[in-house]
Amino acid sequence: MLRILVVEDSPSMRAFVRGALETRSEFGEELSVVEAASGFDALRLLPRGPYALVITDINMPDINGLELVRFIRSSELHKGTPIILISTQSSERDQQRGLSLGADAYLTKPFTEEALCKLAGAQLERARSGSGAHG
Amino acid sequence: MPDLLKPSAARAVRRGSDRGPVREFLVFSLGGDLYGVELTGIKEILSPPPITRVPRARREVVGVCSVRGLLVTVLDLRRKLRVEERMLGRRSRILLATAPTGEVTGLLVDEVRQVVRLAESEVEVAASALGGDVAEHVLGVGRPGGKFLILLDLKAILRD
Amino acid sequence: MAEITDKAREEFFSEAQEIIETLSRNLLSLDGASKQGVTDPSLINEAFRAVHTLKGLAGLFGAVRLGALSHRLEDLLDALRLGRLQLLPQTLDVLFGAVDIYTKVLEYEKTSRDDPLPEVDALLVELERLGAGAAHPSSPMSDYEFDSGMLAVLTEYEEHRLKVNIEQRMSLYRLRVQFDLATIDRALEQIKEKARRHGEIITYLPTGETTSADSIELDLLMASRDSLAALIGSLGADNVVIEEISRRRRSMDGGPSRAAPEKPSIQLVHSEAAPGHGSDSVSPVPRETDRSAAIDKDRSLRSLTQTVRVDIRKLDHLMNIVGELAIVRGALARVAERVRNDGQRRLATELLRLHRNFDRRLSEMQDGILEVRMVPLGQVFERLARVVRQISRELGKEIRLVITGAETEIDKLIVEELSDPLMHMIRNAIDHGIELADKRAEVGKPSAGTIALNAYQKGNHVMIEVEDDGRGIDERAIVEKAVTLGKIERGEVEELSREDVLSLIFLPGLSTRSAADDVSGRGVGMDIVKTNISKLGGVIDVHSETGIGTKMTITLPITLAIVSALIVRAEEQIFALPLASVSEALSLDEASVRVLDGREVVTLRGSTLPIVRIARLLELERTGQSGHRMGFVVVIALGNRRLGLVVDHLFGQQDIVVKPLGRSLGTVRGFAGATELGDQRVGLVLDAAALIEEVLSSGEAQREHVGARYA
Repeated sequence: MLRILVVEDSPSMRAFVRGALETRSEFGEELSVVEAASGFDALRLLPRGPYALVITDINMPDINGLELVRFIRSSELHKGTPIILISTQSSERDQQRGLSLGADAYLTKPFTEEALCKLAGAQLERARSGSGAHG
Repeated sequence: MPDLLKPSAARAVRRGSDRGPVREFLVFSLGGDLYGVELTGIKEILSPPPITRVPRARREVVGVCSVRGLLVTVLDLRRKLRVEERMLGRRSRILLATAPTGEVTGLLVDEVRQVVRLAESEVEVAASALGGDVAEHVLGVGRPGGKFLILLDLKAILRD
Repeated sequence: MAEITDKAREEFFSEAQEIIETLSRNLLSLDGASKQGVTDPSLINEAFRAVHTLKGLAGLFGAVRLGALSHRLEDLLDALRLGRLQLLPQTLDVLFGAVDIYTKVLEYEKTSRDDPLPEVDALLVELERLGAGAAHPSSPMSDYEFDSGMLAVLTEYEEHRLKVNIEQRMSLYRLRVQFDLATIDRALEQIKEKARRHGEIITYLPTGETTSADSIELDLLMASRDSLAALIGSLGADNVVIEEISRRRRSMDGGPSRAAPEKPSIQLVHSEAAPGHGSDSVSPVPRETDRSAAIDKDRSLRSLTQTVRVDIRKLDHLMNIVGELAIVRGALARVAERVRNDGQRRLATELLRLHRNFDRRLSEMQDGILEVRMVPLGQVFERLARVVRQISRELGKEIRLVITGAETEIDKLIVEELSDPLMHMIRNAIDHGIELADKRAEVGKPSAGTIALNAYQKGNHVMIEVEDDGRGIDERAIVEKAVTLGKIERGEVEELSREDVLSLIFLPGLSTRSAADDVSGRGVGMDIVKTNISKLGGVIDVHSETGIGTKMTITLPITLAIVSALIVRAEEQIFALPLASVSEALSLDEASVRVLDGREVVTLRGSTLPIVRIARLLELERTGQSGHRMGFVVVIALGNRRLGLVVDHLFGQQDIVVKPLGRSLGTVRGFAGATELGDQRVGLVLDAAALIEEVLSSGEAQREHVGARYA
């Protein structure tokens, strides 16, 4: 059972991501999406991992996605967990920051289900094959 | 175009109605016959831009061309499948696919027809149907709506 | 984008509704505040976020009109929150109007109505008019002592807020708070409430230090005019530690003290090393640690966020764009000419002036990007130093490694491909070149063998030299081996020049050892080294003196990206030839062509220049065009070898972006890549080094089948 943590303050965005990931059966295993509505929520849910993948928005009030990435990378449990960031079209800088802090990939809004699934699939595969520790 | 991602190795499987999982195939014609490749493997279809011959390259390499700045190696599927050669026609198209190495490759075909959906049960793995060296590139045969379709293995074609 | 679940769509509508309501409330607050002459930045930001989210959702769920409206609104709100626009009463009016229309558009979306909504168009126009704002004022540099890393996790917006606060001379504070995960929501709300009375909270950073699994520690970055004491008084508690983020002291001249960014360098090990260097054979000198410590002390905003890990493919993409702009630049100049010829002098002058400006900026940008791609060779050299230590231990030979020019820079892509070839060369040098200690003593050499790695820039190239003070290459042994392997005929041996003999080591199967000291089994193939270097567009030369030592020189282009090239045509095909390899171009007089030793040659200023016809060499389709007119000879030179390439036409010189050919074409020899020539045409880029090698290969005159290819 692969658990994916989705951190996103917009409920419909969360629903969209959940819908996309759970109905596409290309991952070969059962997927379950765990939702966090804010960075704090994520902090609460992270210790209940490990998660096979974390997908997080960058721009969230309070704890932003970048801060979350750093936090995740500093934890033993999730040091090597793939992280996908959701960013906006115009913010190259945030994307680059995210990558340099240790995120593995990013999606720019608006993105299609297909893009999300391909990215997520690739990251899950990478982690699974063991080559996955970030870096 | 920089492609950050390696394509997922899995196949896209959609839940068909009662035929079981179906796969989508892009149908094109080559030398009068119909062929199909898995749609998910094809990134783009375009009219052939000017193709530059590459001297000393393998027979099946037509040359290289530029697609929005990206250098693409173009293979002539006719040569690959030992079909009689022909000049570029009005309807010739290039199918862009990504080889296992990550290289974006173009496949030259005579004409792109349509997309069909075939369930697993509708694909005949016909080892005998076609002989010779073509066999390693062939996945099987399909007969959507009575048409005879040779299904090609995209990965095998691009593997060389 | 199929199958968006119904559930998601429902969520979308309800969230959209909620957002619109929030936006409405926000605007009301803003209205109230502005009437009192106060602007609360957090309110504007909230409004921006709301619209931004709505835009994103609209895009996701295909609500086109909603998306378009949100996009414009977002631009306006962005300008407002970044301070580019003032929040005037009329602006607020427009915003209120937008909210009304939003509701209507959402209704239409829900019921899938397609009717036109003229109010929307009108509003869009209005928004566009308002949206154009003044340029963002640059903030002054500041000097606060931030925790390293705190700045690295700020989003663009948060960073902006920080700068704004600094500009307004606010004090910055860090509140370190311990929270219980179970009650964090409430506790946080309380702190936020209190803090808001004093100033603005910029961001919340989890510190990563937790005392237990159910607690979390957060750093709140805050800006306030109040004093530390006041904050402590109001917000202090057992679980809260408040510190001010102090300003750095300014140096004497009033400006912030800033050490120049230091590039890591490997120090030169002096050749007069103390004889007692004994067991520690190699001494790669560690990076200077004192200078880097000084950099750490520099805490200005900029330097902490200075390094970003960059995906080289993104740089390639940028280079592609620059390359395409270069083509546009060329076209611009031509149009200017045509305009001038058309009689429009003034217009032409104007265009040319713009063209020059464009040209300058483009060059700057190109240089800038190239600089990002450039890395010092020291990176590779460092790795090699470790290898040397390892090999010297393996083989029981004492080695002293001398490195110079480690700061020489070269394209990142090239650097990555260099370590293998260099490693092979060094291994060979240590294995076959450097004699065993007692042998060395016999001939009066120091017991430790010396390997010198030197790098320097020469024009458009980078030169890397690997030199050893060993026994030198045994020419007789090589020749014998070559004959045994059938690479050359016994009869040709006399005619081989010293250079030719030395070049033999690059043939596969040859190595410079005798059976006696067969240590590693197979010699490491120099042919592979050569192939790798060729692939990078480089060339390798060998120089050796028996008993004294061997020196190999690698010549590499500095970058793989934009090069100046000569555009030529042979038969119907267009090729590009990097200018760096071209020494000159002349027109060809067929009458002056002679045949010497099976090769076609011409006389150039008294010396013989071998020539090769591109059309024939590459077996291009004959169109009957050549032969009637005068051809051209483009003389290419690399190392000390020269070759004249005969082509039909010389178009001229231009900057091109060399793109590598795909891996599937990797075996095709003679091409360094391809480039786009305008209107989508592609021209192959000739590989001068490979051509010289192919045509002038040792012992082989231009025979019919150039079949003795190197593996």
